[in-house]
Amino acid sequence: MVVYSFYIFDRHTECIYSKTWLPTSSDPSSGSGPATATATTTTTNHNHYNPATALRPSTADDAKLIFGAVFSLRNMVRKLGGDDDAFVSYRTAHYKLHYYETASSLRLVMLTDTATLSMRNVLHQIYINLWVEYVVKNPLSPVEHKGGVGVRNELFELGLDQFIRGLI
Amino acid sequence: MAHFGPGKTASSKEQAGLRYPSNGKTIYHRPLHRTKTAELSQASFAYLFSEMVSYAQRRVTGIQELEKRLNIQGHPIGLKLLDLLLTREPPRSQTRPLTIIALLHFIKINLWTHLFGRQADRLEKSSNPDTPDEYMIIDNEPLVNAYISVPREMSQLNCAAYVAGIVEGVCDGAAFPARVTAHSVGGKEEGEMWPGKTVFLVKFQPEVLEREALFGKG
Amino acid sequence: MTVFALIIINKAGGLIYNRTFHEGGLNKISTNDYLVLAGTFHGVHAITARLNPLKPRVGNRSSTSSSSGPGGLLTRPEPPSGLEVLESENFRMQCFTTLTGVKFLLFTDPTQANVDLTMRRVYDMYTDYVMKNPFYQLEMPVRCDMFDRKLGSYIREINNR
Repeated sequence: MVVYSFYIFDRHTECIYSKTWLPTSSDPSSGSGPATATATTTTTNHNHYNPATALRPSTADDAKLIFGAVFSLRNMVRKLGGDDDAFVSYRTAHYKLHYYETASSLRLVMLTDTATLSMRNVLHQIYINLWVEYVVKNPLSPVEHKGGVGVRNELFELGLDQFIRGLI
Repeated sequence: MAHFGPGKTASSKEQAGLRYPSNGKTIYHRPLHRTKTAELSQASFAYLFSEMVSYAQRRVTGIQELEKRLNIQGHPIGLKLLDLLLTREPPRSQTRPLTIIALLHFIKINLWTHLFGRQADRLEKSSNPDTPDEYMIIDNEPLVNAYISVPREMSQLNCAAYVAGIVEGVCDGAAFPARVTAHSVGGKEEGEMWPGKTVFLVKFQPEVLEREALFGKG
Repeated sequence: MTVFALIIINKAGGLIYNRTFHEGGLNKISTNDYLVLAGTFHGVHAITARLNPLKPRVGNRSSTSSSSGPGGLLTRPEPPSGLEVLESENFRMQCFTTLTGVKFLLFTDPTQANVDLTMRRVYDMYTDYVMKNPFYQLEMPVRCDMFDRKLGSYIREINNR
């Protein structure tokens, strides 16, 4: 199982947190390329990634696209499946996107490889054990996290990274 | 011949636009029996026929005219098939059918087997005493209609008019001039066994029946 | 095991076929809503193809086109792939895109197995009874009795299994 990235969107549709665990270029034939992925993981055994992975546009664009896709799909699911229905995940040939929405319209999105089974529980755990514990219960954290204020605290980041690494 | 490109030698045997294989063997040199059991792809036929119908549909004013055009497309095939199928018969039975019944059997069995790989489903004579010149060849599932859904506003149309043209060609070639038309008789209900059932109505010219009557006396 | 519905979207994002096989599987929505849904999905599909976290973007391809694979051969980039399976609590949707850009969306119940096979058969029927029909105009709504009939009996067989 490989986790590629993780995003949190607040109820104002703003991306208030994003983190990527993209694999570094581990192609032995292209050892000269500098590894510039945002976070390193232990997934280097997943070989032959194009060295051009490092040339990706900013994650801010990605976040906007992801939110657009997720929001449309969520509305589509509601329309077809009824108001009690919830969009869970979608998969393409290259990756899988998992979605979890809390009662307060906080939206957690995770991108993994295609073989991963449902991550609904994982996202729920992140919400309960990390978000509620380290962000909501943090007296220094504001109510609204405009621009990500209050989310990027040490405990949350560390907890999330450890949690995800534990899964891999 | 003025516009032969450079490097091309105009030999006396060659004509512009026609190409002959280098060994001189054209399609006419091949034995007629070799392809007797050869099979063709139904998909490629379906696409070809689809284009034939679209082509026939251009600038037509009505369904009758469209069917007429399909009929005309099939007619020469019937004429040629009569020759080909008789040639392929064993030498003893290489005569053309001489009575209506023999002709219709030839169509039902030989022609259908050659074209569609099976016989036609039924052969009937019109029970109406006013039309003794009408015979019916019935096909439950015409192969040419296998993939065709006729739009509702053209429900009178049956694209097997093309096959009717072939049948007409065979009749004409055997000196039994006739008009052949295709009619859909299958119901449109869900549970219908043969929704594409088609009747080929063969209406012989009066002189054919006259001759037949004379034969009967003799 | 139930197949709820089938939607076919042409390469421009227009709805060309829409049929419900099982009442109560999906909410009933108006034809207009289906048209909107088809257009929306068409857009989302394009976005999901771009979101691939592993591959460079189209805009970057020029800089990577000279990259050589094993043996020094130029590697051909894989064709982009958009959304293939969508899961929700109440249904599962499989999307199949043909080489010509037509999308087939098959809605089933969440536990439906072997949707690939069903999709394959539906596509077969489309190529047979729609594409080989001389009266079908490309990109236009599919109105073919034969397609309706064959599709109906095939899906009924699955739903009654």
